[in-house]
Amino acid sequence: MADRTSETPPSATPKPDPDALRGDVVRRARIDASCRGPVMFFVLTAVAWLLIGSLLAIMASVKMHTPEFLSDLEPLTFGRVRTAHLNTVIYGWSSLVGIGVLLWLQARLSRSTLRFHKLLYAVGILWNLAIAAGTWALLFSHFDSVEWLEFPVWTAALLGVGFVGVMVVSLDLFRRRSKHHIFVSQWYLFGAVFWFPILYVLANLMIHLGMATGVAMATANWWFAHNVLGIWFTPIGLAAAYYFIPKVLGRPIHSYYLSLLGFWTLALFYNWAGTHHLIGGPLPVWLTTVGTVASMMMFIPVITVAINHHMTMVGHFEKLRYSPTLRFIVFGAMSYTLVSAQGSLMALRRVNETTHFTHYTVAHAHLGMYAFFTMAMFGAIYYMVPRLLGREWPSATLIRIHFWTTAVGIFIYFTGLSWGGWRQGEMLNHDTVDFLAIVDYLIPYLWSRSLGGTLMTIGHVTLAILLWKMWRGAEEEAQGPAVFKEEPAKTKILPTSDGEEEDS
Amino acid sequence: MNRTFSLLIGVVLTVAASFVGLVLIPDWQLDPLEPVEAPDGTLRPQAPTGTVAEGRDIYSQLGCIYCHSQQVRPPDFGSDHDRGWGTRQTHPLDHIHDEPPLLGTMRTGPDLANIAVRQPSRSWHHLHLFNPIITSPGSNMPPYRFLYEAVPRTDGAPPENALDFPPEFDDPDHWWVPTDRAEALVDYLLSLDHTYSIEGDP
Amino acid sequence: MNIIYILIWGTWIIFGISVVWALSWAVGQGHMSNVEEAGCSIFDEEEPIGEMTDFFPGEGPDGAVNGGEDAHG
Repeated sequence: MADRTSETPPSATPKPDPDALRGDVVRRARIDASCRGPVMFFVLTAVAWLLIGSLLAIMASVKMHTPEFLSDLEPLTFGRVRTAHLNTVIYGWSSLVGIGVLLWLQARLSRSTLRFHKLLYAVGILWNLAIAAGTWALLFSHFDSVEWLEFPVWTAALLGVGFVGVMVVSLDLFRRRSKHHIFVSQWYLFGAVFWFPILYVLANLMIHLGMATGVAMATANWWFAHNVLGIWFTPIGLAAAYYFIPKVLGRPIHSYYLSLLGFWTLALFYNWAGTHHLIGGPLPVWLTTVGTVASMMMFIPVITVAINHHMTMVGHFEKLRYSPTLRFIVFGAMSYTLVSAQGSLMALRRVNETTHFTHYTVAHAHLGMYAFFTMAMFGAIYYMVPRLLGREWPSATLIRIHFWTTAVGIFIYFTGLSWGGWRQGEMLNHDTVDFLAIVDYLIPYLWSRSLGGTLMTIGHVTLAILLWKMWRGAEEEAQGPAVFKEEPAKTKILPTSDGEEEDS
Repeated sequence: MNRTFSLLIGVVLTVAASFVGLVLIPDWQLDPLEPVEAPDGTLRPQAPTGTVAEGRDIYSQLGCIYCHSQQVRPPDFGSDHDRGWGTRQTHPLDHIHDEPPLLGTMRTGPDLANIAVRQPSRSWHHLHLFNPIITSPGSNMPPYRFLYEAVPRTDGAPPENALDFPPEFDDPDHWWVPTDRAEALVDYLLSLDHTYSIEGDP
Repeated sequence: MNIIYILIWGTWIIFGISVVWALSWAVGQGHMSNVEEAGCSIFDEEEPIGEMTDFFPGEGPDGAVNGGEDAHG
C-alpha cells in the first residue's frame, strides 16, 4: 500500500463516478454479481458446519444429563465432542459466515466490486479442509486442552495463512471505495479483518509454540478467547446491525456521532477485558483488576450502541412483521446489549465469585455467540442471498419456522442455564451443600438445554433447506439462455418502482 | 500519509498494546519463579515425567478440563477451602512446569488441584473412571470404560490388576483390567498434590 | 518489580497516545464532521430514506422485491 499514485480511485477526485450515471440499481447489481460465487461459497460451507456443530452440540448436551449416552466410544466422549462442537461452530460456522458477510458488506459499502475470486475460493477451500482435519484431530487424535485454541498447531497455521487472502481482498475493496465518508460498519469491518489474524497468530505462538510459560499461557489463552469474541465476531455482528437496521427500515441511524464513539471505545477497552476469566485464579491481582476495569469501561460502547439501535427502531417496531432480516438483526442487536451489560457485571469480583465455574457462564457465552452473533448473521443471510442469486426466497413459512425455533430455542437455553447456573454457583459457595446434591439439582436445567438446542437445530435444518432450494433454483436457471449466464444479476434485478412505501 | 495505512496502524496498535500488557508483561513477571524446597528436601512442584506426563496428556485429550478446574481460590472467595479442595490459594509457582496449565473454567465436577490428597486410593480412581456412579452415586461424569479391557472370566484366579467391583456392579462375564492409558491417567491424578507451602500471595 | 510497573504504565501511555492520535487523525480527515451526512451515505435515489428494502417473500408492497423478479411468481 506504499504507492497509490498510479491507481488513485476515481472517488478521490470530484469527477462523477461513471457508475453513478448508470444508476444505483445497476451499480448494486454489478457489485452483487461480483460477490456471488465466493460469498455464496463461504455462506453455504458455513451453514454445513453449523449443522455439524449442532449435531455435536446435542450429543454433548445429552451426555451431561445422561452420561451413558454413546459413552463407550472414545471419539464421542464428552470432552472430545464438546471441544469439536466449540471449534466447528467458531471456526466453521461463525468465522466462515463472518468472512462472507464481511466481504459482501465491505464491497457494498465501499461501492467496489469484489475481485480475486480464485484467491477467495482457494482460501475457502483451505479453511474448510483445515477445519475438517482439525476436527478429526479433536475427535480421534491428540489435542491440548486450551479453550478456543484446541486445533493442532498445523491447522492453526493453515487457517492463519488462508486468512491473509481475506485481508488482501478486504483491503483491496476498501482502497477502491468510492465515497469520501467511511460508513461506521466499514470501521468495524476494517478493524476485524486485521484484529483477528494478529490475535490468532500471536496466541498460537505463545501457547502452542511454547513462547509463554506456566500461568502466563492462561493469560494468553483468555486474552485470545475473549478478544476473538470482542474484536472479531462482535465487530462483524455490529457492522451488520449498523447497516441492516437503517437500510431495511429506510431510516438513517439515530446518531451517527454516537456510533463512531462506540467504535473507538470498543477498540480501546475490549482488548483489556479478557483476564476477568481468571478472577480468583493463580495470577497477580493487578492482572484481573485490569480485566475488571476494562469490562466496566465497556459500558460506554455498549450504551452508545443500545441507544442508537433503539432510537433508530423506535416507532417502527411493527415493521419487524414484514422483514425477516430486520427480525433476526433486531433480535441480535438487543441480545448484544444484554450480553454486554451482563458480561461487564460478571467481571465484578462479587458477581464473579458466584458465576465463575458454573453453567451461568455457558449461558452467557451462548447469548453472545448465538443470540447476538449468529442471529445477526442469519439476518444478513436473508438480505444477501436473494440479491446474490437474483432470486426470491422460496417460502415465507420456512423463514418463520427458522426464526421462531431459533428464537424460542435460545430463550429456553439461556433462561434455563442462567437460573440453574446461578443457583449452582450459590450452592458451590456454601460448603454445607453436598457436591452431588448440586449435580442432582442441575439435571433438569441440563435437560432444558437439550430441548433448547434441539429447537435451534430444527431452525438450522430449515435454513439449510431454504438455501438448498435457492441454490438449486439458481443452478437450474444458469442452464438457460446464455444471456442469463453472463450477467445474471444485472439482467434479473428490476428497479423498484418508486412511491410504493407502505408508510412514511 | 495514506489514510488506509493510518487506520491500519491504529488498529494494529490497539491490539498490540493489550498483547504487551496482558500477555508479555505477565510472562516476564512470572518467568523468574523457581521451585521451592519441601520439608523432605525435594523441590516442588516437580515437572511431570514418565507415566505422569503421559497421564497428563490423556487428561488433556479426554477434555477433563471442561468439567474440572485445577485452581484453589482465595479463602475469602467462594468455599474452596471449606470444601477441603485446598489449604491455600493456588500460586503461579504451582504451574511453572505446566504447558499449558490445566486451570479450567468449569466445575461440573469438583476441583482437582489436590485430588491426590483427598482420594489417595488407586483402586478408587480406577472404579471411578470405569463408572463414576460406583463411587459417586448420582454423578453425571461420563464413564471411561474404553480405558479398560474386558477379559473373559474363567474358573481360575482373576488377573492381578483386575478391578474389584462392589457386588451390585460386578460383571459376571468379564474381568476388567486397566490399560496402560488408565494406569497413566491414575498416576497423573495421584500426582496432583499442591499442599506444600509457598510464601506470599500470587 | 519496578520495571514491571513501568512497563504496565508505559503500555497504557503508548496505547493512550495511539488512540488519541487515531482519533485526532479521524477528526482531521473530516470523519467527525458532517457525521449525519455520512450516516445517510447508505441511501440513494433508488433506495431512498423512508422505503423499506426487505420483506418476507411475496409479502412486500407491489414492486418491492428482495432479489429477483419472480418474487410474485
